[in-house]
Amino acid sequence: MNRSLLRFDWVMFSAIAVLLVLSGLFIYSADYRNDHAVGGLMGRQLVWALIGLGCYSAAAFLDYRKLNSAHWWIYLAGLFSLVLVLFIGMSVYGAHRWFSFGGITVQPSEFAKLAVIFTLASWLGDPATDVERFKTFMLAFVLAGVPFLLIAMEPDLGSAMVLLPIVVLLLFCAGVPLRPLLILMGLGVVALLLLIIWLLFFPDSCPLEDYQKSRILVYLNIHQDPLGAGWNKLQSQIAVGSGGWFGKGYLKGTQNILGFLPRTVAPTDFIYSVVAEETGFAGSSLLLVLYTTVVVRCMSAAVQARDTFGRLLAAGIGVLIFSHVFVNIAMTIGLMPITGVPLPLMSYGGTFMVSTMTALGLVQSVYLRRRI
Amino acid sequence: MRIRRTDLYIPRIYLLTGGMLLAFLVLGISLWRLQVAKVSQFENRQQIQSLRRVRLPGIRGKIYDRNGLCLADNRPVYSIALFLEEVRRAGPWARTIDQAMDVIGRVAKVTGLNPEMNREGIWKHIRLRLPLPLVLWRDIGPQAMARLSERGRDIPGVDIYTEATRVYPYSPYTSHLLGYVGRADSDMMNEEENYSYYLPEMAGRAGLEKLFDPFLRGEAGGRLMQIDVTGYRHGELAHRTPKSGGDLRLTLDMEVQLLAHKALGNHRGAVVVLDPNNGDVLAMLSAPGFDANRFVPYINVTDWNLLSKDPAKPLLNRAVAGVYPPGSTFKPLVGLAAATLNPASIHTVYDSPSIFRIGQRVVHTTGHGEVDMREALKLSANVYFFKTALACGPDPIIQQVLSVGLGQKTGVEVDFEQSGVVPDKKFQKENRVGWSDGDTCNLAIGQGYVAVTPIQMAMVTATIANGGYLYRPRLVQAYREPAAEAYVLNEGNRIGKMNWSEAALFAVRAGMHDVIMEKNGTGRRAAVEGLDFAGKTGTAEYGVKEEGAKHTWMIAFAPFDNPQYAVAILVEDGDSGGGTVGPCMKVLMEGLYEKMKREGRLT
Repeated sequence: MNRSLLRFDWVMFSAIAVLLVLSGLFIYSADYRNDHAVGGLMGRQLVWALIGLGCYSAAAFLDYRKLNSAHWWIYLAGLFSLVLVLFIGMSVYGAHRWFSFGGITVQPSEFAKLAVIFTLASWLGDPATDVERFKTFMLAFVLAGVPFLLIAMEPDLGSAMVLLPIVVLLLFCAGVPLRPLLILMGLGVVALLLLIIWLLFFPDSCPLEDYQKSRILVYLNIHQDPLGAGWNKLQSQIAVGSGGWFGKGYLKGTQNILGFLPRTVAPTDFIYSVVAEETGFAGSSLLLVLYTTVVVRCMSAAVQARDTFGRLLAAGIGVLIFSHVFVNIAMTIGLMPITGVPLPLMSYGGTFMVSTMTALGLVQSVYLRRRI
Repeated sequence: MRIRRTDLYIPRIYLLTGGMLLAFLVLGISLWRLQVAKVSQFENRQQIQSLRRVRLPGIRGKIYDRNGLCLADNRPVYSIALFLEEVRRAGPWARTIDQAMDVIGRVAKVTGLNPEMNREGIWKHIRLRLPLPLVLWRDIGPQAMARLSERGRDIPGVDIYTEATRVYPYSPYTSHLLGYVGRADSDMMNEEENYSYYLPEMAGRAGLEKLFDPFLRGEAGGRLMQIDVTGYRHGELAHRTPKSGGDLRLTLDMEVQLLAHKALGNHRGAVVVLDPNNGDVLAMLSAPGFDANRFVPYINVTDWNLLSKDPAKPLLNRAVAGVYPPGSTFKPLVGLAAATLNPASIHTVYDSPSIFRIGQRVVHTTGHGEVDMREALKLSANVYFFKTALACGPDPIIQQVLSVGLGQKTGVEVDFEQSGVVPDKKFQKENRVGWSDGDTCNLAIGQGYVAVTPIQMAMVTATIANGGYLYRPRLVQAYREPAAEAYVLNEGNRIGKMNWSEAALFAVRAGMHDVIMEKNGTGRRAAVEGLDFAGKTGTAEYGVKEEGAKHTWMIAFAPFDNPQYAVAILVEDGDSGGGTVGPCMKVLMEGLYEKMKREGRLT
């Protein structure tokens, strides 16, 4: 035990711990109106963080290699939950994304993403899998594509989209030839351009939901609609931009208190705006440094991993964290369209907290059992 | 240990890590651009959407009479106001309006007031002035206020809201000179600061209120309010208390002003009382008057039409803007002019018959036999003054009359002052008539083109009373700068001295003394037992001669030996100066006599 504590990645854990504390503080701030926090969100988030820490410890001290053989079961469980949520999930604004158990809601897509990473890492890490074959390449996309479609059907396209960089970069790390990857990325860009043209000129025939269409168009600055779909983007930019070097002070973010940053999203998808407004560039860049630390330590665990499964698992989780952080911050500051992608460890939300902590625990597990 | 296949791809992981670091660097740079480079732009946008500046009107300075009686005061107006942010309901506005209507109903029940606010009114307030309190009942009485504070404690969002309004306790007796205030237009204020909301402010619209508006107005304060995304008031970030304007102390003596009102009775006309020793306006009254309080904050159309279309012209300040022929009150000036030019004329005796021929014209007037200047003044003998004027010619008279201040504004601090008319040869030429002996005779008795205002005649009277010193009449005795303790006195306003000889003055003053004090003086009806004073009556024909329309005058100064009051009274369309104005003058002088006795100013 002493030996494993010495081998423990304390740097990453410290970064995670600091992020969890900040999460509590700023969820309180996002919840704060007229001298008190109204929703009691911070307390609940702290409970989730404790559960997350439990899962983290369990995952860290569990030998990830023992789970290797179970990867298909994990994958199927993930798919099953995604199918189930479409039928018995709680309906919110027509979307079926959550299971509800007596007041606690669970979002299966977060676990499904982790399951996809786990399965891909295990399968691609299997010496029997020939990564240089085109069949492997295609099968990896099928493995990611099924949950992608299921999540997109909820509908939660933003969350599903995160699977795309995961599968591409996992294949990259696993050592697939570069040419098909590059061709695929080229096709992706062309498809995106076609989508934009489609949205612009033939919006009625597009199968995307209206809110998704308008979000993309707002991002492209084509539909200037500051009171409609563009509101969140504009108000988030104003919140971040008016922070200055050191921000307006804790609990003094006017964009949040006055409700310009909508109260429903301030503690969740737009928690970064709250931090950036109240602590300025100093705080927002500190957060960025913390996330960089977490991601770099994940990749470092991947490099030092004892086996290919561990390496791909750590790298895949690193990519998962990176994708969420990048997409979330980029949308907060107006670089990307508004997608409902939360900020790992910071955003209010139980399932995502637990799944992220479990994932980071797995990385720790890989690191603890590294070669050197 | 064999090299595993995937170890070959460790550089790919480094490459990937490098790519992710680069992506975070891009985010960091974007953050820097947003938060540091463009911070002012976003701060500005944030302020535009969440801050509102409310202008609080300055506290208007007050106007006092010389004894400290407040003539233009500020009165608090208590209103019941609803703070909508405290009764807000989520969802459509109609729900908030429902809640507001419910609260209004409860307040109405508790206070017994009739609800005046309807749904449209609330909706309008929501659209235009949501962060400000919504006034439900303006200027409520003490009873409603007591009821609300007793039984309305638990009604949410309702409070008493206080504003100031202007009040003139002595209107209508002071209306013409104080003027009035009206609601100021926000675009008229021409200020550098931009406000989102303007609370009603009063601006001087007439009289002293208008002339001294910048001094009285005070300095606006402001509130910096934070509003939330719905537009409700969230809180106050900064507050600047409005500052009070300066105060004015007038030379006016309200006691004399009220005496003047009493003296004039129901007549249409004007009274001006000056202090001959310094030109202070002690009273200035024009009748009929109007209630200036009706103009605050704005006058309704019906009242305005009644006032502006009234043939009696209540809005006209006759004391300074009414122009009338002076009639015989002009004669003392003719006497002084002639006697100053030729001292012998004081004792020249002219026959003053009832028929006088000027060129082809025959003038019928009252005959008085052989009279000298003193006698002629006492009896107001027209022919004596015809002969005197013809003897010295019109020029010295015109020159005297101009230098005593007629034909020009006195410069008293009242708006719409008229200068009157002093005809001379040039004036006649411009009017395409030559100067004839007839014009000289008309001038001698204050008829024809010559026209004066009551304040000019009061000024002339004061100059005769004090021995020839010219003072510019003044209304503002002293002013107190905002926040200052003491008043600053207005500097003296002596503007010259007439070149009248002692003998001339003596003769004219003696004549005026006889007017009042002698049995057959024309102004004997004004005489007050025990008070020795002097005066002159005047009856000036105007319009078509056959209609016999006359303006009647009387000027006087008292006491004779030590003049403290110089008075001019004009009554429009009277019968005669002595008959119509004499009794008025008597009332005024009785009052002044009592006042002087009471104040120990009689020696």
